[in-house]
Amino acid sequence: MIRLATSLLFVALSAAAQVKQPEQTSLPNAQSGFAQVSQAADSARDAGRSEEAIQLYKRALGFRPKWKDGLWSLSSLLYGQNHYADARESLRRLVAIDPELGLAWAMLGMSEFELRDYARALDHLRRAMAEGMGDQKDIAELVFYYVAVLENRFELFDDSTSLLIAMVKSGQDSKPLVEPIGLAALRLPFLPAEIPADRHEMIRQAGEATLALEAQRRDEAGKLFLGLTERYPNEPGVHFLYGAFLLDENPEAGIQEMKKELQVSPSNVSARLRLAEEYTKQQNPDSALPLAQEAVKLDPKRSSAHMMLGEVLIAKEDSLGGIRELETAREQAPQTVRIHWDLLRAYTAAGRSEEARREKEEIEKLSSARNQ
Amino acid sequence: MWGGLVEATPCIFLPMVAAVSFLALLLTANPTTAQASRTFDQIAHEADAARASDQGQRAVDLYQEGLKLRPSWSEGWWDLGSLLYDQDRFSEAQAAFRHFAANTRKPGPAYAFLGLCEYETRDYEQALRHFRLWASNGWTGTPELTDVALFHFALLLTRDGRFIEALYLLTTEVQRRGRSPALAEAMGLASLRMKNLPEEYPAKMRELIWLVGNSALYAALPPNDFARADEFANRLLAHYDQTANVHYYAGTLRGFEGKKEDAEKEFRLELDISQQNVAAMLELARIDLEADHLPEAEDLARRSVDLESKNPETHHVLGRVLLASNRTEESAKELETAKRLAPDGATIRSHLAMAYFRLGRKTEAQAEMAAFSELKAKEGVFVPPAEKMKAMKQAAR
Repeated sequence: MIRLATSLLFVALSAAAQVKQPEQTSLPNAQSGFAQVSQAADSARDAGRSEEAIQLYKRALGFRPKWKDGLWSLSSLLYGQNHYADARESLRRLVAIDPELGLAWAMLGMSEFELRDYARALDHLRRAMAEGMGDQKDIAELVFYYVAVLENRFELFDDSTSLLIAMVKSGQDSKPLVEPIGLAALRLPFLPAEIPADRHEMIRQAGEATLALEAQRRDEAGKLFLGLTERYPNEPGVHFLYGAFLLDENPEAGIQEMKKELQVSPSNVSARLRLAEEYTKQQNPDSALPLAQEAVKLDPKRSSAHMMLGEVLIAKEDSLGGIRELETAREQAPQTVRIHWDLLRAYTAAGRSEEARREKEEIEKLSSARNQ
Repeated sequence: MWGGLVEATPCIFLPMVAAVSFLALLLTANPTTAQASRTFDQIAHEADAARASDQGQRAVDLYQEGLKLRPSWSEGWWDLGSLLYDQDRFSEAQAAFRHFAANTRKPGPAYAFLGLCEYETRDYEQALRHFRLWASNGWTGTPELTDVALFHFALLLTRDGRFIEALYLLTTEVQRRGRSPALAEAMGLASLRMKNLPEEYPAKMRELIWLVGNSALYAALPPNDFARADEFANRLLAHYDQTANVHYYAGTLRGFEGKKEDAEKEFRLELDISQQNVAAMLELARIDLEADHLPEAEDLARRSVDLESKNPETHHVLGRVLLASNRTEESAKELETAKRLAPDGATIRSHLAMAYFRLGRKTEAQAEMAAFSELKAKEGVFVPPAEKMKAMKQAAR
């Protein structure tokens, strides 16, 4: 996928819209020099004489350092020649001059990806997504791919999964996405290129199972998840995936898988939260409580842990404690509608009607934003 | 802005500044200067406004224009450097910060920025030098700058093979900021004693580094989360128990957890896998020394000296073993070698002082103790070796 990126990007960029700008006023000599050199650079580029074109663009940019067309062409040529560090320099200058060039942010992010400057790559690729990439569908798909795999590497597993699933649903070929989806499902923060040789099969199987589940092919998903637990019973994340699948159709079996997960990875917060949720659903808050408390202790910054603990405490009729936890969760994740619903119910039950009204308003605001 | 004007003013005028508005002074002093100054003021004002309204490139242009008119405008250099740094234009930012450092009495934070710019332009030796200068100037800067600079300082220490110092800094960061994937990766590299930056280690080692890094990070959290540290360590051992330095790391972790016997076992396993692992040898020698198993300790220490004769720690440990064996003359010789190789190592000096005392060389012993006290106060990565040496010489005098 990544190798394909270089060639695809280069082809697409060659065809991409040229960036136009009013030229700066220069001295006549400089102006004629610039005109001559820039034309020669364009000709060399069009004739495929990349190295010569690179040198000429550099010379032309000596006359006009803020010549956007020139910076763009130079960057594309350097990227096409795998000179990522030089491409990055030239793109940095370009986006500083015109920060709204989505394609330039895209190429900058991809250059940084190649240079393994992953934090900046993710920032800049997200910026490309925000600025838009015009009608360059191939580049947009590449950018989404890079963003998704980088989000996974930075342990933003849910964001990565959402983006990857959205890519599949939009009709993208799912084959290159199987491993990234498997990595995110198993909470392994690696790029596909960083997968250890003996772990490819497991990760692929987790990806295929997740994709099958997303596509509502439940039988196939079930078989794949079961196969994973049989083949890799001691790998963290495997029982959790199967357990989460089972909780929907066979809660008792799901609970057993979640317990197995906690034996393999005792600090797994997600498994605790799913178990606590299931026990609460079964009106067994006594079993849910220690799990939710441990989840908060293990990961105090996770809003879903505070939300779960809040729900459990309210189920145990500790409305004060429950509201306190839910308010912490709201502070950490103000966009999560479920937390506002929980608080609306809790405030109403506690007779705190003004606060309940504010929650209702917030829910309406979030829902309308989502619909838009 | 006014600070810049004041700094640019000849000292003779300074008392007048209190009585007369500085601008008025310039206006009446010299018509040509006044014209330039007005233009400068205008530009500086516009530059500040452009910066405040996030017009990055325009602000850069205006600061550059202002600085052409007034090269001694130190705040201008600072703002220009910061803007260029924010735009990832590191070479240009570096030049601006250099000017700032040359034009101000308090260059501390500029050294941090210089180190960061040089890191990005891959001038690692200079970057390390500037980070040390930053440290010796009191680690000044905003909390954000401190976090970023400390982190990169630690990465360069790892690259330089100064793993313990790197881990010390990273632990400080973990305790300030909590867990982050980048900190875990950096701790993984230092704990595995890999002289690599995060952007340059082989991709196939990612999982190994991630596992070690997370284990080390959880162990360093306040309070220590040994349960999770062990969980990552167990995953590590399940997949990489034949990989060099993995058992060394596990031994270090067990030692940190106070499980001495387990630690010893892990260090021995490390030596089974990589017979020439000096770090593991030294750890075992220390354990044997503590248990008074002196012949075993000596054997290990001598092997480590044979393997790494330029590593001060090998001579230091051998010196300690010989000291414990009452072979004081030999011990002093080893400790003197260690001192020559690492003149800023505080504990080497204290052991050397002990050896000299036993040999009746009291003056030398007192000098070593004084040096120890001075160095101890400045121990760690915070002070450049040259400054440590200066402090030591003063103490000796």
